[in-house]
Amino acid sequence: MFKFVSGFYCSIVNMERGHSSGVKTPPTRGVVQKSKNKTYQQSYRSCLRASSRFALTPALTARRLNTSRRAPRLHNITEKVRPEHLDILMKTEWKLAYVTPLYQFRHTQLQSYSRQLSEFIAAEKQQGLAVEVEGLQSSFRVSFSVVPGMTEADDDAETVLIQIHSKPMFARQDKPQKPVWSGWLTCINGNPDYLQSLPQDFICLPLFGSSGSEVLTRLVQSWFQQTFDCCFGCLEISETCLHWLAALWTNCHSESSIQRLKLIWTIPVKPVLQVTYTVNPQDAWDLWSDIRKEPGEENEGEDGRSVDIEEVTRFIQGLKNHFYKHFKLDLSAGPLQQVSTALGSAKYSDLQQQIYDHHPHTTDRGCPPQNAHLENKDFKPTGNATFQQHLNTGNLEFFICIITTHEHINTIFTYYGWTNGYNLN
Amino acid sequence: MVRLKLIPFCGPHVHLVEAGTPVIGNDQFENNLVLVETVAYSKGLPPEGISIMLEFAMSLRMGNSPCVRVLKCLIPATVVPQEAVVRAVVWLCVGKIPISSQVLFIKWVLTVFDLIDAKDQLRAIYGFIFNFVTEENLCPFICHLLYLLTRKESVQIFRVRKLLELQSKLGRQPFLLYLLSLYRVFCPELVTLSIPSRMRSGFRNHNSPWKSALIAVQKKNGSQVSPTISLPFMTNSRKRKHRHLEIPKLCSVVNKPAQTEPSFSRKVVPFMQLNSFTELLENLHRIELPAQMGSLLASSMALHYLDCVQDESALLRLNFWLGYTLHEEFLFNSDGGASQDLDEAQQFLNKLLFTQDFLQEGFSATEAFLYKFLRVWDGSLLRPQILSLLSNIPVVPSLKIGRLLFEPLMQLFFTSSVFFKCGLIECLNNMLSKWLSWHTVYALEDDLDISLNSHTSINMTLSEFKDSVMELVHFVGRLASVGLQLESYHSLLLSFILDFYETVCDTFVKYELPLIVMPPAGVFYPALFATEPVSVDRLAYIMYRYKVNLTSAKLDIKQKMKASHISRQTFYEFNHYKAIMVNCLWNSKMSEPDMGLQLKEELLCKSNIPEYWKSFDLINHPAFMSCAIDFHRKCWPRKRNVDLNSIKLSRPWTWYLQYLYSQGYNGLKQFVSSM
Repeated sequence: MFKFVSGFYCSIVNMERGHSSGVKTPPTRGVVQKSKNKTYQQSYRSCLRASSRFALTPALTARRLNTSRRAPRLHNITEKVRPEHLDILMKTEWKLAYVTPLYQFRHTQLQSYSRQLSEFIAAEKQQGLAVEVEGLQSSFRVSFSVVPGMTEADDDAETVLIQIHSKPMFARQDKPQKPVWSGWLTCINGNPDYLQSLPQDFICLPLFGSSGSEVLTRLVQSWFQQTFDCCFGCLEISETCLHWLAALWTNCHSESSIQRLKLIWTIPVKPVLQVTYTVNPQDAWDLWSDIRKEPGEENEGEDGRSVDIEEVTRFIQGLKNHFYKHFKLDLSAGPLQQVSTALGSAKYSDLQQQIYDHHPHTTDRGCPPQNAHLENKDFKPTGNATFQQHLNTGNLEFFICIITTHEHINTIFTYYGWTNGYNLN
Repeated sequence: MVRLKLIPFCGPHVHLVEAGTPVIGNDQFENNLVLVETVAYSKGLPPEGISIMLEFAMSLRMGNSPCVRVLKCLIPATVVPQEAVVRAVVWLCVGKIPISSQVLFIKWVLTVFDLIDAKDQLRAIYGFIFNFVTEENLCPFICHLLYLLTRKESVQIFRVRKLLELQSKLGRQPFLLYLLSLYRVFCPELVTLSIPSRMRSGFRNHNSPWKSALIAVQKKNGSQVSPTISLPFMTNSRKRKHRHLEIPKLCSVVNKPAQTEPSFSRKVVPFMQLNSFTELLENLHRIELPAQMGSLLASSMALHYLDCVQDESALLRLNFWLGYTLHEEFLFNSDGGASQDLDEAQQFLNKLLFTQDFLQEGFSATEAFLYKFLRVWDGSLLRPQILSLLSNIPVVPSLKIGRLLFEPLMQLFFTSSVFFKCGLIECLNNMLSKWLSWHTVYALEDDLDISLNSHTSINMTLSEFKDSVMELVHFVGRLASVGLQLESYHSLLLSFILDFYETVCDTFVKYELPLIVMPPAGVFYPALFATEPVSVDRLAYIMYRYKVNLTSAKLDIKQKMKASHISRQTFYEFNHYKAIMVNCLWNSKMSEPDMGLQLKEELLCKSNIPEYWKSFDLINHPAFMSCAIDFHRKCWPRKRNVDLNSIKLSRPWTWYLQYLYSQGYNGLKQFVSSM
C-alpha cells in the first residue's frame, strides 16, 4: 500500500486550450525487424518448426539485482495534471500490482470499455444471468478516463484512471452515485528500448494501483485479463523497498523539503510494541549526505550519481544506532512497517499478519498493540502542525519510479527487458 | 374402411386415412399399428416410413392417442428425412396438437437429431422454431434444439432480448443460460454473462423413450451412430486456490478492432467455433485468435494451429502469460505455494512439456524462468519436469552459459544424490543433441553460419555456436570426472556419462559440426577399467565412432582444401587413448612411456600382483574374466585346471574374440576391425 501525499493545485495547459484531445496513444511504431535476412528466416521456418517463433522476447538479459539505482529527480507534476485527478490520486491509499503489456488496448476506446466493464461487473454479480447490453439497469457505473500529463518520457503511454460508482439499493432517486472503487494504470519513464521493441498492438502500462473493495479489484483485473490478454501480479512492498524509499526520499530533501521522515517499526514483544520514529528532515539529510560523501568525490558534480544499496543500509543502520543510543532498543529486532515523508508514504502490505507470524502462540490476538511514541531529543520531532500541511512539491512520478524498481516488478520486467532507466547492475 | 398396412410394403395407403376415422373399435387399424410397432422395434423404419408415419401422427388424422403411440415407435433404421421434420414443424405451427404431444415430438427430434440427413432447411425455419420458446413447457426442449441449430447468422438482437425477457420471467434456467452462452460465442458484443462454476451439466438428455430401442436397432443394422446426444459444453468445475495456474478458458474476442479494412472484408471464424480438425483446416486462413492466447495450450487441436501461427503479437501474448504464470507460481510465491498444490503444478508443467515437445521448440518465457529457478531450486521439487524443460532450452551463448547454467547446475550436481547426477547428465545429453539437431537444420541453409532466431538480438556465427557446444561438453566432462570419483565409479552414472559421449563422438558425421572433443582422462580410464563389460564395450564403440569422425574430418579437409578445423591436439589425444586401449586389452602392456598415468615400476611390483601388466587384457580384465572362464570351459571341457593363459595362444585367442563378439560385444568388434 502506498499513498501520494502532496501535490500542487494549478491550472492545466490542456484545459485552457479547450481541447481535451491531449489523449495520446503512443506513436505508432513499426515493428522492429528482428532479422536481417527475412527470406532466410522464412525458409528455415519451413524446414523445421523452428525454435524461433516462440522465443521472441530477449530472454538473455543479464540478471539485474537491485543493488544500485540512479537517484530520481523531482518533477513537479502539479503543473501537468488536472486538479481533480490529483485530488483522486493524492488522497487515497493504493494497493499495487504489476501488469504485463495490454494487447489491443486503445486510448480512443475508453467509452466502450466503460460500458463493457459495467456489463461485466453486472454479469459477474449475478452469475448465471445474462445481462441486457443496452439500457444498462445495473447499479454499477464504470468510467474510464485519461489522466493527461502523467507521463515522463515520449514513449510512455498515458495514464488511465478507472472509477466505479454505485448507488445503494434503497437510496433516494435524486442521490448521486457514490464512488466505490478506483484504480489506475500507468507507465512512467518506461525503458524506451523495451517499449519500442514491443509490437504496436501492445500498450505497456505496467503499474496498476487500486483502492476499494477487493472483490471489485478482482473483477476489474479479470476483465482486463480477458479483454487485453494481460496478467496481474501482486506487488508487495518489502522491507528493503521501504529502506530504499526512506533513503531516496531523504535524498530529495535539498530540492524539496520532506518535512519529516517518519518510520514505524513493530517490535515482536508481548504485547506488540509499535515504535514511531520521527526524524527532523535536516538531521536525516545530514546523515544521508555524510554517507553519500564518503566514496570518490569525482561524480559529485553530476546530478545523478547512482545510489548504492550499501549506502541505503548504512543510512538505516545509522538511524537505528542512534535510536539504540538513546533508548537501548535495537530496532533490528522487528520489521520496518511504514515510511512516510511529505512526498508520500508507503507501508508494508500485511501488517497484522506479519506481527502475528512472529507470535504464533500469542493468545491475545484481539489486543491492540501498545503504541509507544518515542521522541528523540537530538532529532527534534516534527510537530503535529506540520503533519497536516500538504504544501510541498508533490512528486508522483518520483514515487512511481521507486515503486517500479521494486523487486518483483524488476524481476518480471528484467525478463521483459525492462530497465526503468536505472543503473542496475 | 381404413386400410392401414405395414409401412414398408404399402406405406402410401396411410394417406388414404381420412380425418376423423374412429380409433376405438377399429381392429384393422389396431392390427396394422401393432405390425408397425413390431417392425419399428425390431428393424427400425426406413426413411419413407418415417415420413409417412410422422405425417400421419402430426396431422392428428385420428386424434391424439395414435399420435403419441406412433411417435413413440418412430425408430429410424437409417436416417430421418429432413423434409419430414420440417413438415412436422409446420403441423406444430397449426397449433392443434396437445402440448404433451408437442413436447414428445421435440424430444423425438432431439433424439434423432444426428440422424436427420440434412439440416439446412431446419436452419431456414430457425425463426419459426424460435417462436416456440415462449411456450413454457416446450421452452427447455426448444432451447436445446435451437442450441443444435444455431449459426452466427441466427443470433439476432431481438432474439437475445426475447431470451433475456424469458430469463427475467423464468429465473436462471440452465437451458436459457446455455443457449445464451452459445449466442455469446457467436456474438460476444450482444450478450454479456458469466456462468456460475457449480453448473456443469449441459442439457438433460430427453431421449429416454427411444434411446434403448434406437441403440438396439442401430446395433442390429450394424450402423454406427453417435449414441449420446450430449453437448460438448463443459464448464470447469474445480475451483482453484491459485487462479493463475489455470490455463485460461477459450473465449472469443469481445473487443474487436474498431474498423477492419473495408477493402477486403473477409470473414473471420473465432477459434472457439471450430469443432474438428477438418474445420480447422478449412478455415485456417481466417481464424480469429481467442481472447487469451494461453487458452490454446488447453486443447491439442489448438496446438496444431499454434504451430502455424505467424503473428508475432500472438506469440508474445502467449509468452507474457506463460512467463507471468511461471514466475508467480514458482518464484514469487515464496511461502511454499508450489508445494501446496504440487499436483497442480506438476500437471501444468507436464502440459507445458507436452506442448513444447509437440511444437519441437521451447518458449523463451520458460527459458528465462529456468535461469532464475535454477538458483533457488533444491533439485528435488518436480525434478523430472524441470530437467525436461531444461533440456529444451536453445543454445546459450558461450559468454553467458557459465553464469546462467553451469554455476547453479554445478552446485546442484555436487550436493545431490547419484540419481540426480544421472538425471542431470541425461538432461544435458538431451540438450546437446537438440542443439546439434538445430545446427544441422540451420547449417543447411546458410553456409555454416547459423542464426538462431531464438535470441532475436543475437545472431550466432558458427564459431560462437561451436564455442557454446564446446563449453557444454567440457562442463559435462568436468562434472563426470568428479562425479564418478564422488560416487565411487557408480556404474549407473557411468552409463549415463557414456550415453553423453555417444552423442559427443558423432558430432561431425551425424550432425556435420566441425568439432570433435575427446573425453577427459577422468571419464576414459574409469570406463576402461570398469568392472562391467558393457561399459568397456561402449567405450570401445565410442572410440570407434571417434575414429570414423576423425577420418571423415580429415578427408573433408583434404577434399575441400580447407584449413584444418579440428585441432592437432584432438588427433593426438585420440591416438593416445587408442594406443592405451590396444595395449591394455590386446597387448597386455600396461606401462607405455607416454601413457597418461605414470606409475613407478617399483610401486607396481610392490603390489605383489604377478604379471601385473596382464591384469587388464581381455582375459584378465575384471569385466571380462567371467567370459574368459566361460570360454575356457566351453573350449576345453575336460580340463580341470583353468589356465587362462592358454587362451593367449593365437588360435584360441581368435576363437575367444569370436566368442566375445557372439556375446553381443559389438563395440569391441567394431573397434578391433577399425584399428
